[in-house]
This record gives sequence, structure tokens and C-alpha cells, in this order.
Amino acid sequence: MNAKSSAAARSMSGPSGTGSVAAVGDAWNRFWFSPADSRPLAIVRIAAAAIALALWWSYAADLQAWFGPTGILPADTVREWRSPYGFSLFDGAATPATLTVLFAATGIVFVLLLVGFATPVVAPLAAVLWASLLHRGPMLVGPADDCLSVLLWILAIGPAGEHFSLDRWFANRAGRPVPAAGWRASISQGLMQVYATAITVAALLAQLKGDAWWDGLAAWYLATGPRSGAAGLVPLLERSEYLTNLLTHGVTAFEIIVAIGLWCGPTQQLVARVGLVGWPLVGLLAGEPLWGLAMALFALPLAMRR
Amino acid sequence: MPMNDSSDSKTPSPVTQAAVTVALAVFLLGLVLSIVGNTGSGSSAVVRTIKSRLFAPWMVPPWLDLGFEYRLTHGSDEDGDFQIEVRRQRDAKTSPVRLPGRLTGERAARWRRLARSIAVEDADRDGLLAAAFGRGMFDEVGAEDVTVRVLRTPLVDRGGPPTAPVQASSARVRRVGGELQLIRAEPRGEVAPLVRPEASGNPSNGGTGNTAEATR
Repeated sequence: MNAKSSAAARSMSGPSGTGSVAAVGDAWNRFWFSPADSRPLAIVRIAAAAIALALWWSYAADLQAWFGPTGILPADTVREWRSPYGFSLFDGAATPATLTVLFAATGIVFVLLLVGFATPVVAPLAAVLWASLLHRGPMLVGPADDCLSVLLWILAIGPAGEHFSLDRWFANRAGRPVPAAGWRASISQGLMQVYATAITVAALLAQLKGDAWWDGLAAWYLATGPRSGAAGLVPLLERSEYLTNLLTHGVTAFEIIVAIGLWCGPTQQLVARVGLVGWPLVGLLAGEPLWGLAMALFALPLAMRR
Repeated sequence: MPMNDSSDSKTPSPVTQAAVTVALAVFLLGLVLSIVGNTGSGSSAVVRTIKSRLFAPWMVPPWLDLGFEYRLTHGSDEDGDFQIEVRRQRDAKTSPVRLPGRLTGERAARWRRLARSIAVEDADRDGLLAAAFGRGMFDEVGAEDVTVRVLRTPLVDRGGPPTAPVQASSARVRRVGGELQLIRAEPRGEVAPLVRPEASGNPSNGGTGNTAEATR
């Protein structure tokens, strides 16, 4: 916290509350405005763009069948279905050709984000196009799509193209120096930490409303699901109820540890690194591997913090 | 490599810092309200009103009005595997179109979500999705009178036998004179309560004599 804001906080709070208000202000400013290295953000950019391409590709084969002029999800039907504030650029694609062009443009933007070309323009554009695609068919959207949307907006805020990018390569050729650590990177990484916790807590609360997470059978239902990547575990889980229970309670414990541990200084980095491994495994078990990877990305900056 | 310490470095100016602080505070409040206001348990009127009036208009368009209610499974009916089946009306010979069928991965997951939406959420929206789906499948099926069924494969209990798919919803979609019609197949119990004619249809037993006909 700088001297001015500390003084303002002191004058507002009076003598008795001086310490606590200033401490809260200091902590707030340290968290959001301390200069941060943007390298972790660049890695998140590359990984998020790769996930975006995978999710974008999953629309490709059925694009016309879903959103085409004679498709099963006509724009007027979807407009009635979704929130009145929902907005999609894809609503205006009235012919198969325009729909294909817009969809291809979205893919190209994701490729540009991956390689880090014109990132300050491409990152917000990627977020807008992705949100548009999701609003065009909200009933097709899954957890990985949601998390990717959040990640793309976070990348649009921060300097995600300063490292490991074509932007950096061009800047090096032009002799422009590597930018120093900045506060925009700090805001992006702070938002990732907040979202990592918020999503984990919301998911945990939703899970604990169901008996399966208390009686220890959730892991069984997940592993036997149609999309689970843990089908190989089924014979083991069938043999041992204890193992099923341990796996179920292990997922719950992992989520509690992530939600709390990301905010405790001494455990922060360790928990973030556990998250890098744990989230993809949970995603695999749940049949949502891309969601697991996206969740791991939220923990990446903390895991890389020096 | 030379380092630049001029752009975006150190801390922002006090004015920028104050503006960003206000923006962050508002955004974080919006995040909390999005989570509280998007739970499967419903939300209070005050949260709903504040969120829908003040936050939804700018959080919905960028796809940030999210509840993150990723329960993964509760072991309930809704967590089963959903598939859509479309066939010509009164045509038992032709194989129906099944989706996602043998598709795999994220593509199949999107079809499953669509099937689940038709079975679970569409009832509150007058069969909007089922009607659109049926209409969109007219060309594929080669008829303008089709049955759209959603089949749910229940979860397998631990140690239990594999389960067969059950019908989660069914609707007939047809085009008559250019007009699209949706006829939902309601569960029998909801439209035809069990009536015992010998008890209610005999005036000598105190019945009115027309109960069975009225409820048929």
C-alpha cells in the first residue's frame, strides 16, 4: 500500500481502527497490485488456447446440424431458451457459409492466441467469440466450457503475450526490451486464485448436497459413467467398498484442501502443485478431462511462484 | 536481455489503483451473487432481484454469470446417461436415429447434454427443444411426423446388474398444413386416474354414472 492510501485509511478509520483498516488495505493492495512476473500467464495462455481448440473442434462436425439454417437449434428457439441478456454473434449467421466462416474465424483466433500473435487484441477477441459460441447453444455447454470462458477473460486483462509468443519474438527482433513485472499480471493471477477457490467451493457445496458423497459411493457412480476415464478402476472398486469410499472421500478432502490451502502462505505453493496433478485426475474420473485440465490452469501461477 | 521498467511496471497511480479497486470489488460481489444465485437449490428473492437487475445485464453476455455447481454425480436419475432417439411415427421397421450413438469424447458429451436438457429442463419450457429437435430431424428421418424420445440409462448400483435404458421423455413432432405441432406423451398415470366402473359408474352405489367416461 502506498503512503497516500495508508494515510487515507488512517484518517477514515480514526485512532482505534487505524491498524486493522490499514492492514486490510495493505493486504488488498499487496494481493492485487504487487508487480508480478507474466511468464505464468503466458503458459496459461498456451494451455488455455490448446484446451479452447479441443473444445472448439468438438463443435465442428455437428456445427450445421446444430446451428445451421435448418438445424435442430434454430436461433429463435435458442433466444427463447437462454437468458434475455444472452448475446451471440453466431445468431446473425443466417447461411451455412457465414456460419462456417464465423466458426473458422473463432478457430483461427484460438490458434493466434496459442502462438501469441497480437495478443492484446486476440485475447479479448477470443473471449468474445467463445462466449458467443456458448450463447448460441447453452444446452450443449459443459463445465470445461465455463472455465475456459473465465480463463479467456482473465487472459484478456493481463499481459499474456509478453513471453513465449510471436509478439515477444517480433519485439526481440525490433530490439524492444523484455517488460518488467507489472500489476496487470498481478490482477490476472489474483483473479485466477479467486476463481480457483470460488469454483472449488461451489462444486464442493453442490456435491455435498447429495448422499453419494457422504455414503462414499460417488466414486463408483463416476467410474461407471459413460465418459469416465477411470473405467479400469471399476473391477477394483467392485471388489473393495473401502477403496470406493476412500476415493470418494479423497476427492472431497482434496477440494477442501485446495479451497483453504490456496490462501495459507506456507501451504500455498504445495497445494497449488497438488492441484496441478489432482484436478486432471478428478476430471478423468468424472469424465470431464478438459474441465480437470482447465481447473489445474487456475492453480498454475501459484504453483510457479518463486 | 535488457529489461524495461517503464510500461505497466511497479504499482499503478493512486487514481488507477482506486478505479481498479472499485471495479474489482464490484466484480467480486457479482461473482458471489452469481454463485449464490445459480444454485440448484434456488435462491432467495433478494439475491435473485439484485443479481438479475444489477449484475446479470453485464455478467451474462461474457458468459460469466456462472454458478459452478459441478456436483459431478449424486447417484440420482438425473446423473444417468441420456440419449436421444428419433424415428418416423408408426414405423417400427426402420432403425431409429440415435444420438450420440457411438460417438465419443466431448462431441458425444454435447449430444448427451442436449438429450438431458430435453428430458429434464424442456418440460418447463413447453417442449421448446423437443419441437425444434424434431423439426430439425425431418430431413434426416425423411418424414414430417416423428417421435423424439430421450432414453436414460440409470446408474449401476455397486454390485448390481447392468441396467437397461428407460424412457425419460417422449414427444411426437409433426408438421400439419405448415404448422408445427408437438404432442407430448404424458405418463399414463397423470392423464388417466384409475377408475373402477363397478364402484363409481353404478348409480345405485351412489355414483353419477359418467365418471369412467369423463376420465377416460
